[in-house]
Amino acid sequence: MGRYLLRRLNLFLATSLVLIAVLFITTGYFPVDKQYALTGIESPTLQQQALSRDEFKLDSNGFNQFLAYTEQRLSGNLGLSVTSQKPVIDELTQVLPASFELAIVAGLLAILLGVPLGVLASLSKNKITQHSIMAITLTGYSIPVFWLGLTLSLWFGVELGWLPISGRINLLYEIEPITGFMLIDTLLSDSIYRISAFLDALQHIVLPAITLAVLPFTVVVRITRAAMLHIMNEPYIRAAEARGLHTGTIVLRHALPNALIPVLKNMGLMLGTFASYAMIVEVIFSWPGVGSWLVSGIYQRDYTVIQGGVLGVALIIIFFSILIEVLHNAINPISRKEIYAAN
Amino acid sequence: MPRISIYQEDDIPSPMRKLWQAFADNPFALMGLWAVTCLLFLAIFGPWIAPFSPEQQDPLALLLPPSWDASGTVEHFLGTDDLGRDIFSRLLHGAHLTFGMALAIVMASLAVGFVIGSISGMMKGLKSSILSHLLDALLSIPSLLMAILVVAVMGPGLSNVFWAVGIALTPQFVRAIHQAVHEELQKDYVTAAKLDGANSIQIFWYVIMPNVWETLIIQTTLAISAAILDIAALGFLNLGAQAPSPEWGAMVSQGLDNLLTAPWTVTIPGVAILCSVLAINLVGDGLRSALSPIRN
Repeated sequence: MGRYLLRRLNLFLATSLVLIAVLFITTGYFPVDKQYALTGIESPTLQQQALSRDEFKLDSNGFNQFLAYTEQRLSGNLGLSVTSQKPVIDELTQVLPASFELAIVAGLLAILLGVPLGVLASLSKNKITQHSIMAITLTGYSIPVFWLGLTLSLWFGVELGWLPISGRINLLYEIEPITGFMLIDTLLSDSIYRISAFLDALQHIVLPAITLAVLPFTVVVRITRAAMLHIMNEPYIRAAEARGLHTGTIVLRHALPNALIPVLKNMGLMLGTFASYAMIVEVIFSWPGVGSWLVSGIYQRDYTVIQGGVLGVALIIIFFSILIEVLHNAINPISRKEIYAAN
Repeated sequence: MPRISIYQEDDIPSPMRKLWQAFADNPFALMGLWAVTCLLFLAIFGPWIAPFSPEQQDPLALLLPPSWDASGTVEHFLGTDDLGRDIFSRLLHGAHLTFGMALAIVMASLAVGFVIGSISGMMKGLKSSILSHLLDALLSIPSLLMAILVVAVMGPGLSNVFWAVGIALTPQFVRAIHQAVHEELQKDYVTAAKLDGANSIQIFWYVIMPNVWETLIIQTTLAISAAILDIAALGFLNLGAQAPSPEWGAMVSQGLDNLLTAPWTVTIPGVAILCSVLAINLVGDGLRSALSPIRN
């Protein structure tokens, strides 16, 4: 296992380096002065010019420049935002928790609803139930997320007026950010309105989270169903049936844990698509997260924000996809056997 | 003396025929295939069928509702937008932008992914893992981030969508083909062919490829639906097709200003995207379930 972990760590480092190299090369092609694209200072003083020349080794050859670029970016120097003139790293850490909050709520929704529905779909012998569940999931898989978000906000936000359609919380509440997660911060704050603030934050997250949850939900249902159908025919399930165990026990204790392994694996593969969808959802619901920040960055041609945001988001995705792969191997003895065989 | 027949059927169906029969037994898949055929037809001949030009503005018919509404007219079958442009014609003109472009992107990235994937799948050890892991880095950049990078360098435009979505799709093909080839390479029948003295090109083309086509077909249908959604999403965010273009995602974003007064300007292009992606997914699903008994 130790050797395997080392190889995954190696993979993480190599992938991150390739990513930084891609960003470094792209930065060179931005249609502005290179120094401006690197630092975000539009009219630098002579001192600043000398400093950034020194930091990014602009007088040296390409390889040294790349090393300097990697060093600066990894030490947290992402430059100044062109539009706000604040350090990009500060803005990034400010918007990241909002995105994580949305993603976690949507992911939980998808898993908590998707797994039971997938199990039900696999157990049901009724053709109509099976077909309707498959039809719903296929539609959910095909729906364009921006259109779904608009339609939901038009129905539930405007025509019925049930739920708010933009932002994280009503502007009336003033919540000090502690963790950055609005749902937790409202409960932690010592204001007398904290319960109503929490409810308000909860109402704000409903529509974006549902919109974002549709895609992972459908994938989870389909994969759980396929895995359950496969597993329920295994000999060990028949053995459990022969011992006279209750169907509930068989499904929950014997079949489901094994059925969740492919679900975990596919969640890792889905991360990139999920992040794309999350960015679009953030733009539609004006959710102050990484996605809307990055998209407004590209509208304003804010080159430092683009680099910083892409680097941050892609590193997070690489990290989590490798983490999920390691977890998958840790809980799945069969795939572990393959690793040892390969070594 | 009667003829002895050892087979139940008179002729044994070929694998292709079996596949088609299994596919045609599923009515939804067949429906999807018809819809995809219609879409292909519209993507090619749409501009000739459309009653109006996509940019023709009718100042007398601004924000006209669709024809089934009481105040709609049949002349503008799906209504008009805020500039009086006929939505039905714009949809027909946009079909080759959204659907046709998705096909072109998938074909291009399939070709590149096929070459890289099969080379890296046939190789062993460090070389293979470097090739495939290099692309894992690209795979981890979501298509939208890729598009943002491409737009930052080249500016927004429909041609840049080609690069952004294509670069995002290629690693998926590489990975799928790499894994399929790699898996087949471990099997006994490949060893048997090697013992017969086949060189690696023969092994690749005559021994392994016939068993990889299926993975390839399924991956292609998945990629087409993903490409349509990506193109439309980029058009919606104004990073792809620009304002007067009848690309379906861009039509949704152009209708956004009138969402409250004229929701059909947003709903109808959205339904068009939904239906075309759904049709492709139905075909893909049908193919997968038709192939699975043959594959296993």
